Amino acid sequence: MKPETLSIHSGFTGDKVTNATVVPIYQTVSYNHRTAEQLADIFEGKAGGYIYSRIANPTTTALENRLAELEEGIGCIATSSGMAAISAVATGLLETGTEILSARDIFGGTASLFKNTLARFGIKTRFVDAGKTKEFAENINDNTRFVFVETIGNPGMTVPDIPAVAEIAHNANIPLVVDNTVTTPAVFKPGRFGADIVIHSTSKFINGHGTAIGGAIIDTGNYDWSSGVFEDIKRLAGTVRQLAFLSYLRNTIYRDLGGCPAPMNSFLMLQGLETLFFRMTKHCRNAARLAQFLHKHPKIRRINYPGLKTSRFFERTMRLFEGGGGALLTFGLGDKQKAFRFIDSLKLAKNAANLGDAKTLIIHPGSTIFQEFSAEQKQEMGITEDMVRVSVGIEDFEDIKEDFNQAISKTFEV
Amino acid sequence: MQLIVNGENLKLQDGLTINGLLKEKDVKTPDMVSVELNGQILRRSEFETTELKEGDNVEFLYFMGGGK
Repeated sequence: MKPETLSIHSGFTGDKVTNATVVPIYQTVSYNHRTAEQLADIFEGKAGGYIYSRIANPTTTALENRLAELEEGIGCIATSSGMAAISAVATGLLETGTEILSARDIFGGTASLFKNTLARFGIKTRFVDAGKTKEFAENINDNTRFVFVETIGNPGMTVPDIPAVAEIAHNANIPLVVDNTVTTPAVFKPGRFGADIVIHSTSKFINGHGTAIGGAIIDTGNYDWSSGVFEDIKRLAGTVRQLAFLSYLRNTIYRDLGGCPAPMNSFLMLQGLETLFFRMTKHCRNAARLAQFLHKHPKIRRINYPGLKTSRFFERTMRLFEGGGGALLTFGLGDKQKAFRFIDSLKLAKNAANLGDAKTLIIHPGSTIFQEFSAEQKQEMGITEDMVRVSVGIEDFEDIKEDFNQAISKTFEV
Repeated sequence: MQLIVNGENLKLQDGLTINGLLKEKDVKTPDMVSVELNGQILRRSEFETTELKEGDNVEFLYFMGGGK
């Protein structure tokens, strides 16, 4: 079956009692088993079955199976948020004294986790310019446990050369973790280009409507856990082989830290997946058209969209991504006051700390998502005070254009 | 045909698919099982179309356990 069909039909073999056509919401904590031996077998991993919804839940299993299919992976664990997914992967692979090698241009929450929270536990992160592949090779060392990139760095719009970065990670025998939130498997499948672990904030394009927070971890099957540097995972590879990493997470980190999704939220993500491919096509098309419009506008500065020919990542974007440069773009308005005035003047686009919604969303990153970072750090991450970030929605393009046009006029009329 | 399923030698009818084998072995929670065929995890969308061949080695793996 083709991906668009899998996004609607995969992951669930059916409710044999009711024959429901939609994946039911299994709003339950625990599961009754006929015999004590049955439950003991499940605990031991000898048989399949549900125990407790912090570990697994049938609605969530359907979501995990569908995401694994779409990413062409060997398995998936759904989490309560994208940050819970990254936290679980990081705590699963790191210990005191080890390091992360990360792109500098990444989501503020992830940067804070690496820079502040994990640093409290003796973990160091080296940040590099993800646009410059050689910086990865120069900063990898014996203590590095994984390399982390976003497919399109947010908000700097940096597109790393993922196949080349994967090769650098694999030469050091460590996995490449790729956050595919802003591209989704409809535009890019990181596993095909060497990524070992794929992360999602499913709250964004996968949900698609801004109705639930969620995340996911997918093992692409590329990394050989039986010969890696992760001793606990290596031991598990003896019994569950390729599934060693996911099994380790499920039965230790994920179980112990408790970042499971609510069944209702898994249901909402499944609903979102059914229209993902359809929406991503429109998101990308609208974003490309808006980028063109803003690029030609005399008042707009530094339009940054990887699908625009003037982007330094245009060639890479066209080589890696199917259907365009995603739905995010940034641009400058001259100063912070004008950026604020522009946001306040928009009528259709919402001023919201989210992306990937069907609605067009706008935010001033410097005073919101990246508020906690110093002026110097913001500069390093490519965040300027006059910059706004747009997550282009799937409204009729003419309405988006009209809204932006009238807001630009208002911003510059005084 | 002769297959090895979870380390056990079994004689099963020719042309059996992975889904057929899951039914044959009475797997109660097919959405939870991961299937390894000759050392490689199969995608679930391949369960219906993958026909088993003489000598294939199949493992049902669960990474859902709660207590380990």
